[in-house]
Amino acid sequence: MLNTWILIGLLSVCTYLSRVIGVEIMAGRKLSPTLSLYFNFVPVGIISALIIKQILVPADGQLNISLPVLIGCLATAIAMKKLNLFLPSVVIGVMVGMLARFCQ
Amino acid sequence: MNERKRTIIAGLTEALPLAIAIAAYGLSYGVLATQAKFSLVSTVVMSLLVFSGSVQMVTVAMLMAGANVTSVLFTSALLNLRNLLYGAALAEDLAPAKKWRWLLAFGVSDEPFVLGSSRFKKYGPDPLYFGVVTGTFYIAWVISSLLGAMVGNQIDPKTWGLDLAFPITFTALLIPGLKDKPVVATALTAAGIVIGLEFLMPGNDFAIMIAGVLSPLVGLSLKRRGRDA
Repeated sequence: MLNTWILIGLLSVCTYLSRVIGVEIMAGRKLSPTLSLYFNFVPVGIISALIIKQILVPADGQLNISLPVLIGCLATAIAMKKLNLFLPSVVIGVMVGMLARFCQ
Repeated sequence: MNERKRTIIAGLTEALPLAIAIAAYGLSYGVLATQAKFSLVSTVVMSLLVFSGSVQMVTVAMLMAGANVTSVLFTSALLNLRNLLYGAALAEDLAPAKKWRWLLAFGVSDEPFVLGSSRFKKYGPDPLYFGVVTGTFYIAWVISSLLGAMVGNQIDPKTWGLDLAFPITFTALLIPGLKDKPVVATALTAAGIVIGLEFLMPGNDFAIMIAGVLSPLVGLSLKRRGRDA
């Protein structure tokens, strides 16, 4: 029981430190134009990586493609391009993804 | 409507689909934590203090598999490495919050980063928006952890399509930004890196961080080449 609380305490400190260090070290500093440009591209890289990571599902040491996620993402991308509306595109993507799951 | 109200409404609206997905994840965490012999109180306190889906799920799964505290901490530290990158990328846009930065830093993780960086790119620094988004996710995470620990394994997120909400929301946020070559190249490089790493080591925890560090270099290089040409 004591171990559980110690673990929770240590995890809290470790996680918070990882969050605050980046913010505090860089806060208020004038970034060089190169570094600033680099950080402009970071979100796109991370978001793309997160999407792909959720399309690829590891199972028993192998890699499978989750068709519902893939088809849902494609439908969202098309809806976003055509409608340029955030919430309707998300709803369309989830519905198409669920339909793909239902048809599987 | 004044600017603050508009920001709060935008934050709540844009956070909602992800908050639902986070709640589904929180339910699963609550169920698993109970199975790993965590008490109701410790399950919820961990969500209140750690507020990290990946760290908490991995911790619970490792403890169930018989791992010791040291290996759990080491794995969590590795999982947390990408927060350094998120924090550095968000720092300039959170700077106007001054001393509140310390509190807002609590929200530096995948989902607030994705929403925050998309907003900052369009409207510039906006700590209030980041606070609203983080607060929404925090409430969803804590309440769903509590419910998960209380109701047990009775809700299947897949039945309701809740597992689709993360990648689909991220796609909706990514698409409008894919306008020029360097951005598209960054996205494709990140995708290629993750596919490659997942193919070599399925289910690894480093792919996102490596893609996040390396892929912007491609965008940067193309942008500079475009300027120099």
